[in-house]
Amino acid sequence: MPREKKVEHYDVVIIGGGAAGLTAGIYAGRARLKTLLIEKALVGGLATYTNEIENYPGFPNTPKGEEITNLMKEQAKKMGVTFKLTDVKSVDLLGDEKVVETFRNKYIAKSVILATGSKNRITNAENEEKFLFDKGISFCATCDAAANTDKTVVVIGSGDAAIEEGMFLTKFAKKVIVSVMHHEGKMDCNEIAKEAALKNPKMEFIWDTTVARFEGDDYLEKVVLKNIKTGEEIPVPCDNCFEFIGYIPNTDIIKDQVRLTGHGYIITNEKMESNIPGVFAAGDVRDKWLRQVSTAVGDGAIAGYAAEKYIAESEIFHEVIMQKEKPGLTFIYNAVDAGSREFLLEIEKIQNHFEGRVIVNRVDIYKSSGIADRLNVSAFPALVLTRQGKVIERIIGTIDSKKLNDKLDKICAECHEFNS
Amino acid sequence: MQEIVIDCLGEACPVPLVKAQNKLKEMNIGDILICQIDHSCAMKNLPEWARTDGHNVEVDEVDDGEWEVVIEKVK
Repeated sequence: MPREKKVEHYDVVIIGGGAAGLTAGIYAGRARLKTLLIEKALVGGLATYTNEIENYPGFPNTPKGEEITNLMKEQAKKMGVTFKLTDVKSVDLLGDEKVVETFRNKYIAKSVILATGSKNRITNAENEEKFLFDKGISFCATCDAAANTDKTVVVIGSGDAAIEEGMFLTKFAKKVIVSVMHHEGKMDCNEIAKEAALKNPKMEFIWDTTVARFEGDDYLEKVVLKNIKTGEEIPVPCDNCFEFIGYIPNTDIIKDQVRLTGHGYIITNEKMESNIPGVFAAGDVRDKWLRQVSTAVGDGAIAGYAAEKYIAESEIFHEVIMQKEKPGLTFIYNAVDAGSREFLLEIEKIQNHFEGRVIVNRVDIYKSSGIADRLNVSAFPALVLTRQGKVIERIIGTIDSKKLNDKLDKICAECHEFNS
Repeated sequence: MQEIVIDCLGEACPVPLVKAQNKLKEMNIGDILICQIDHSCAMKNLPEWARTDGHNVEVDEVDDGEWEVVIEKVK
């Protein structure tokens, strides 16, 4: 019999504990939001798979990725972020209350930040499944390098990760054979890494090749490469194989709710907003140009800040703008527009005139159009009239004070009738 | 329902994963396996392997750099 899931409420639930999620946590926690971060494995994300990070500003000592992310984790904890290490089974993001379920808990949040990152792309070559993780195929040089001391390993790929991690492996292995799908001399990595790799006496390159299949009894013994130009098969005996052929976004659990690109990345605007209000994305899972620890940190900061603004705006929207006690008049304006500012004086007169009968609010959209968006107003200035928490009229542009007075008189009279 | 604890403290990859796999084979459905680990490398393969194999997994960080991987055998 399935156990009843324990329900917990949070302001923000962050899914994913890499650099993006941790930074979002630091910002949300610092804004005094009740924040939960859910990570399915090791906090730190993809950065923990990197043995040396040379380009994260502030760390000139080329630390291991894990060292940087452990500091981020410490900082997030200091800001009061709660950590939960499990995987998310399902989400329901569409409502005002977002639901995130793990196998034992049900979390209800006002806002969700998706920082789920990506997973390793695999070759899909024959027999690959048989040898994944502990049977000879690895994705983490940092984890498994020491176990390959004096051994022969095959590296698949020629991007930054493949070549840099391959060079790291040469410190342990006696030989590192790299399968590159491009023609001789061409690699996808940066020029500095390429030059160093070509000079490395322990590294050997097999050009124009991809993996045809993996062979071995219980453990991997041989990677059979295939020359993509000639079709010739090249059996390469080895002790282990490392695959570094890129990543695919972790968007399986959200793909039916959040708008994605054709490749599965989450589409956001510059505020990290997805197509669903209150749902933000940050880091590698987002459709973006450069995927680095430093850009993940930038995304996370924006997402954490945006979530705070969203929650604050939600509260104002529901409790102030859409209040149910009295008829409401909301004036939406842009403070940099002189015409709008002048009309503020009229609004003040109206407020005084209807004191106790109509609740008057002013919303400046200069910094955020969130409340205007919720009221479906996109041209300014604008007036929105509400009654019992419902919009009854939108007036775009300013209006003659006399007409507005008449309208409000009428609404008040109706309300009076309704109440008595 | 049984709860079994295996001590993998001080053990580097792939030892914790192999130990967990062997132990899980002997267990019954519904049993809980708790693997105590303190090498972060095991956090990268153990939970993922167990989930891919179809089990329920949750991790407790008992101390800085020390974890208990809780695996509920589902099949």
